[in-house]
Amino acid sequence: MEQKKYWQHFGELKNSEAYQESLKDEFSEDLTIASGNGLMEATTPRRDFLKYLGFSTAAAMAAASCEMPVKKSIPYLNKPDNIIPGVPNYYATTFVQDGNVVPVVAKVRDGRPIKIEGNDLSSLTGGGTSAQVQASVLDLYDTARLRFPLADGKEASSFEAFDKMVSGAIAATAGKPVVLLTSTQTSPTTQLVIDGFLAKFPGSRHVQYDALSASGLLLANQASYGKYAIPSYLFDKADVIVSLGADFLGTWLNPVEYSRQYAAGRKVAAGQLKMSKHIQFESILSLTGANADERFIHRPTETGAVAIALLAGLGGAIQAPALKDERLKKGIAATVAALKAANGKALVVSGSNNPDVQVIVNAINELVGANGTTVDWSSTLQTRKGSDKAMADLVQDMNDGKIGTLLIHGVNPAYDYFDAKKFESGLKKVPVTVSFNDREDETTVLCKYAIPDHHFLESWGDAEVKSGYISFIQPTIAPLFKTRAFQTSLLKWSGNDTEYGEYVKAYWIKTLGSQDAWDKALQDGVIEKPQATSASAYNGAAVADAASKLASTKIGDKTELVIYSKVSMGSGKSANNPWLQEMPDPITKATWDNYAIISFAMAKELGISVDDNYEVETFKPVIKVKTAGRELSLPILVVPGMHPGVIAIAVGYGRSEKTGRAAANIGQNVFPLVGFNGTTFDYHRTDVTVEKTSETYDIAYTQTHNQYEGRKEVVREYSLTEFSKKPGVLSDERHKLAEDYAKNTGDYRVEGTLYPDFPYPGPKWGMSIDLNSCTGCGACTIACTAENNVPVVGKSEVMRAHEMHWLRIDRYFATYRDDSGGDDLDNLNVVFMPMLCQHCDNAPCENVCPVNATNHSSEGLNQMTYNRCIGTRYCANNCPYKVRRFNRGVIEKCSFCVQRLQEGKLKAKKENRPLETGADGKWDIKTACQQACPTNAIVFGNVNDKKSPISKIRNEEQKDRLFYSLEQIHVLPNVSYLAKIRNTDRHVGVADHAHHEAAAAAAPGEHATPAH
Amino acid sequence: MSLIKYESQVREPLVDGHKTYHDVTEDICHTIEAKPTRLWYIGFYISVALLMFGVFSVYREVTYGIGQWNLGRTIGWGWDITNFVWWVGIGHAGTLISAILLLFRQRWRTGVNRAAEAMTIFAVICAGQFPIFHMGRVWMAFFTLPYPNTRGPLWPNFNSPLMWDVFAISTYFTVSLLFWYAGLLPDMATIRDRAKTKFRKMMYGVAAFGWTGSTKHWQRHESLSLVLAGLSTPLVLSVHTIVSFDFATSIIPGWHTTIFPPYFVAGAIFSGFAMVQTLMLVMRKVMGLEQYITLSHIEVMNKVIVLTGSIVGCAYLTELFMAWYSMVPYEQDHFFKYRIAGPYGWSYWLMMTCNVISPQLFWFKKLRRNITFTFVMSIVVNIGMWFERFVIIVTSIYRDYLPSSWSLYYRPSIWEIGFYLGTFGLFFTCFFLFAKYFPVIAIAEIKHVLKTSGESYKGEMTGIERMTDEQLYADAHHHDDHHHAADVKVAHN
Repeated sequence: MEQKKYWQHFGELKNSEAYQESLKDEFSEDLTIASGNGLMEATTPRRDFLKYLGFSTAAAMAAASCEMPVKKSIPYLNKPDNIIPGVPNYYATTFVQDGNVVPVVAKVRDGRPIKIEGNDLSSLTGGGTSAQVQASVLDLYDTARLRFPLADGKEASSFEAFDKMVSGAIAATAGKPVVLLTSTQTSPTTQLVIDGFLAKFPGSRHVQYDALSASGLLLANQASYGKYAIPSYLFDKADVIVSLGADFLGTWLNPVEYSRQYAAGRKVAAGQLKMSKHIQFESILSLTGANADERFIHRPTETGAVAIALLAGLGGAIQAPALKDERLKKGIAATVAALKAANGKALVVSGSNNPDVQVIVNAINELVGANGTTVDWSSTLQTRKGSDKAMADLVQDMNDGKIGTLLIHGVNPAYDYFDAKKFESGLKKVPVTVSFNDREDETTVLCKYAIPDHHFLESWGDAEVKSGYISFIQPTIAPLFKTRAFQTSLLKWSGNDTEYGEYVKAYWIKTLGSQDAWDKALQDGVIEKPQATSASAYNGAAVADAASKLASTKIGDKTELVIYSKVSMGSGKSANNPWLQEMPDPITKATWDNYAIISFAMAKELGISVDDNYEVETFKPVIKVKTAGRELSLPILVVPGMHPGVIAIAVGYGRSEKTGRAAANIGQNVFPLVGFNGTTFDYHRTDVTVEKTSETYDIAYTQTHNQYEGRKEVVREYSLTEFSKKPGVLSDERHKLAEDYAKNTGDYRVEGTLYPDFPYPGPKWGMSIDLNSCTGCGACTIACTAENNVPVVGKSEVMRAHEMHWLRIDRYFATYRDDSGGDDLDNLNVVFMPMLCQHCDNAPCENVCPVNATNHSSEGLNQMTYNRCIGTRYCANNCPYKVRRFNRGVIEKCSFCVQRLQEGKLKAKKENRPLETGADGKWDIKTACQQACPTNAIVFGNVNDKKSPISKIRNEEQKDRLFYSLEQIHVLPNVSYLAKIRNTDRHVGVADHAHHEAAAAAAPGEHATPAH
Repeated sequence: MSLIKYESQVREPLVDGHKTYHDVTEDICHTIEAKPTRLWYIGFYISVALLMFGVFSVYREVTYGIGQWNLGRTIGWGWDITNFVWWVGIGHAGTLISAILLLFRQRWRTGVNRAAEAMTIFAVICAGQFPIFHMGRVWMAFFTLPYPNTRGPLWPNFNSPLMWDVFAISTYFTVSLLFWYAGLLPDMATIRDRAKTKFRKMMYGVAAFGWTGSTKHWQRHESLSLVLAGLSTPLVLSVHTIVSFDFATSIIPGWHTTIFPPYFVAGAIFSGFAMVQTLMLVMRKVMGLEQYITLSHIEVMNKVIVLTGSIVGCAYLTELFMAWYSMVPYEQDHFFKYRIAGPYGWSYWLMMTCNVISPQLFWFKKLRRNITFTFVMSIVVNIGMWFERFVIIVTSIYRDYLPSSWSLYYRPSIWEIGFYLGTFGLFFTCFFLFAKYFPVIAIAEIKHVLKTSGESYKGEMTGIERMTDEQLYADAHHHDDHHHAADVKVAHN
């Protein structure tokens, strides 16, 4: 019988040479890499953008030759027990970067980690993550990582040769101290390794350095409590939270844990209209400030005065300073009253790196009774230990030629040290310099030796985020490149030939007592020993001195500069992560850049008009910022809620060419503008002059219009006071709307539309998003990107509104300008609204598609059939939520993670039991965004299951706050929202009568949003 | 003289210059039989060049994707669909002239109907390019057709206005083409009969479908014309109605408007007549057809323009009124803040000026009969009508329900402009070929009206014109009686 040959193309039929060649490579498409004029000029089509940036699993194949052969599809003869091709395994591990520690679970499919989830066994994060954590899986595949050890810029032939060279070099510096310079180090075993290493080299020391330092806080705690440590803050236990510039939901210390606690204290439910009150004092609009109930602004130089005023108000034996700003004074008085009323359930935190300010804050916490209630000393936070002074001393020593060997791990002072030039000149005077950093960053290129550490997904290890809270790191893939654990190097160089992985195992088996206990610990990923909340003995001796030093601070009268870090970019370690680069900043909604943010008042002063044109054009005026003998030219973005005398610039940008294509030449580095007062870094500058230039610069931002124009149907917000008085204000309105639609039949679903209303006999999927819990951090956006392979398009395409995010966070400034064009600070309310496909049951996209490519499932999903889509974009035009994205000729959008739904359903079916969607805490299915959310703002499940949380939220617990966005157009969404409640007496949201008036007045421009 | 053939001398002649049947044939066939002029070559090559640019622009778009255009997540349709609606609208004048005016026995149509119908066909061809090539995956365009298939079978979505478009436009094109070609048959035969070369005789012979001019042929021809006119008449109204449904059935403020069908039809006729004017004014001058496309033709069409322009003006104002009257804030915001003002406010006022204000000048007879002014106005109206579609499409979606998704400023990319210019190239390439190889005026139909409305024949009606009413009445009754008598006679037989 003739054998038929099936073939896909002529190459295969004729078995050509090129085809033979292509067989060898699993990912046979060529990388489309344009010849390098840098990222922005690249002619690479958007579709291959990620490849262009050098992220490729092909690298994983080539370099790792991991266990999974790809050349021939021959099944395992002896299949490993737990590996089924295509079926993912999950391994508990831990995200560690810049000292930050988040316990996670890595999803590994066919030997490759593809997604990071939070570890829900961690009581600190409860399975929550951040955008950086979600994005970290991509860093693994970054081909800009250093792929082998370097000696004098050349590849070392082997680790052995490298060890020999370095050991020899260190020996040759005999007598001179070895210094180990790392970021904050949280690993117990690494500490042992370091201790052992240092013991081998007498006179050597370990310096921990944080680019974004908490030195001031540590020093203050030493003075106040006798401990160079940071306590646990319990935001959920506080009825009143006062933050003096601490961005604890975004970037301060341990935001994932804090976000979780914060949201827990702000859950409002039917019959339980109670929530914590959050008051924020700050100079710029931070993510945390955007979530605050009350917000007061001051100059950075007034930070101390504000703290002292609070202390004085609370009865501290201290002279209250004279503050000029009436609004600020009133705010302080109100805050004092609130703190007093909180009766011990209050917490004051400060983001200042000035020890004197932190000493005053400690005194305040002592007065309000926080010590031992909301400030918990039973367990201390390990994520910041760096000493600014120790770092400055080290740099001085280096310049003095006192250092023989410098080992650098996880820090990049040539980029992020305030006096990088001095560091560089010092580095030249150190005979032996070794970098363990993962790439040829600004520091590594200056080092004589470089031996890259693994990515955390390739590593063994452990981390102790708080004392008593251990989480473990286990490899999820063999190292892709020729990298080695930095601890192994230390062990080797101190004469111990143990691999660090073995070292970790041995240590923990010994500590935990048995192999079984270790296996269990590794499987769980965390070991926690919670202790009862306890206070620490307080010593107020430093207060008077701190207060007098602060009182002598000259309050600036010119422009002041604030150097801040973005939620996405942090200190810039992840600058080459395109997911993070393309993540819109929660406040500015800008991507791929840093810029100077300024107030409306300053814009006016500079002669920049913030009009329609400013809104719809990407080019922004460039200003020249001069301070401390340095000059920077940056584009501006006007942001409400900024102090009129302040400009702010984010760190983390302006990376060098070798950092990677995504990072290079984007934005400018502002670390050189950081000040140093001899003890701590100062992230403020007072002596700043700003002038407008005639240049412009394009900023790619994803949201042009910043307020909701009184469209209360879009997003609902109320003050707690008003909502408590009339809890039915929203549900009554919704009932009336439903009645309007149901005059004849009593069924608004049927009567509101010409189309039939279909039954949903099986599961019916629904999502609820609590706007009170959502802090706008953006973890969900990146989780969605990772889960659904959402493409990165690059700056030039974001500028053309081609960003692809299936889930975005809409950020509205409710009323931010008064009639004079200045900021309307009293009424600045910021609302974050995660927006994704609403899976409407009466979907406007479905009936306009000429080819039925988008249709409705019997489970209530609005489905996209890519194969059927011909790309007319009619559905996108007709989508009132504008959540449809056009990619590769077809429309894509949120699918409610349909792959997860199928997987969960199959799992339940195989086990012959009903599907669990959260009843009694059992989940077969969570969407990626839900799983990533640190505040549990997103709840997803089967609406037809009466016991599921989604049903309970909609029908019992949250009936009063429930709404559907744009409910009046009767598209019947399956995503419901819970109204934002602000704990304030101010009027919040849109008054009933105001909406129509505003619309009827119909004045052009932006001033129509009713304020009162 | 039979009364049926009588047309008052008050009406201007439809054919000037004392033409005989032979003169008519000569005048119209002359350009077909002569070598093209230099001017023709220049125009033709420019058109082909534009067409090639368009082909390249479409090549870019198909190969690299819609990303070659400056559309985005908020503005999904821009120049593409604007151009589509514009070109479809242009087509409407031809159908109105050939179908509705035929049914209403407006004899002046004979001077312009052939070229106007050709314009319709070419405009519809141009229009059709946009919905086809605006697709992200144009190679899958056949999914829109309801053909039996093995996927279920899976049918297109008959709820979708885009689906209706597919039928509306294809039906429109088919009927227009048939109508146009049916009218061409006797003229093709005329050219065939005058042909001096074998090749020419063969080609036009094939094109004439064996027309002999027999009475039976004429009878069938007349019947077919009437039937096709009957079919075309609803199309004049339905095609643009359905195009307007693309917007009217949506939920976007500014699109979701019940006035759209009549408003779009009026706008279509408005822009169509403007385009007819643009073409005819050039054609009559270049091809020396001033005696067939007379000033009175131009004036009549200008009257249509001022009428339909006023209708669309009313529609614009009605939209504003309804937005205010509806009390729907989204509608009010849209019309009052973001359409008549806002970043694209200029396009609204450009539209208003071109479409509503300036055509009002046609109330003056002097201006209606001024050729230069008419030509300028026709261009102005076409610009205005392009902007009408731009205003409807782009300024409605650039700021819709969620302020978070409001758009950046939309400017077309070079390839979007190229596509549009390319359809101009296509249109004029077709039109130049038409002008060279086809009788641009319906010879047979002109001959129909020549003896009643030709200048010299009108002169012969002086006797009838001088009759008193009574005489005229008596004359008419005399004929009537005569007929009755005959009928009775037949009945008795």
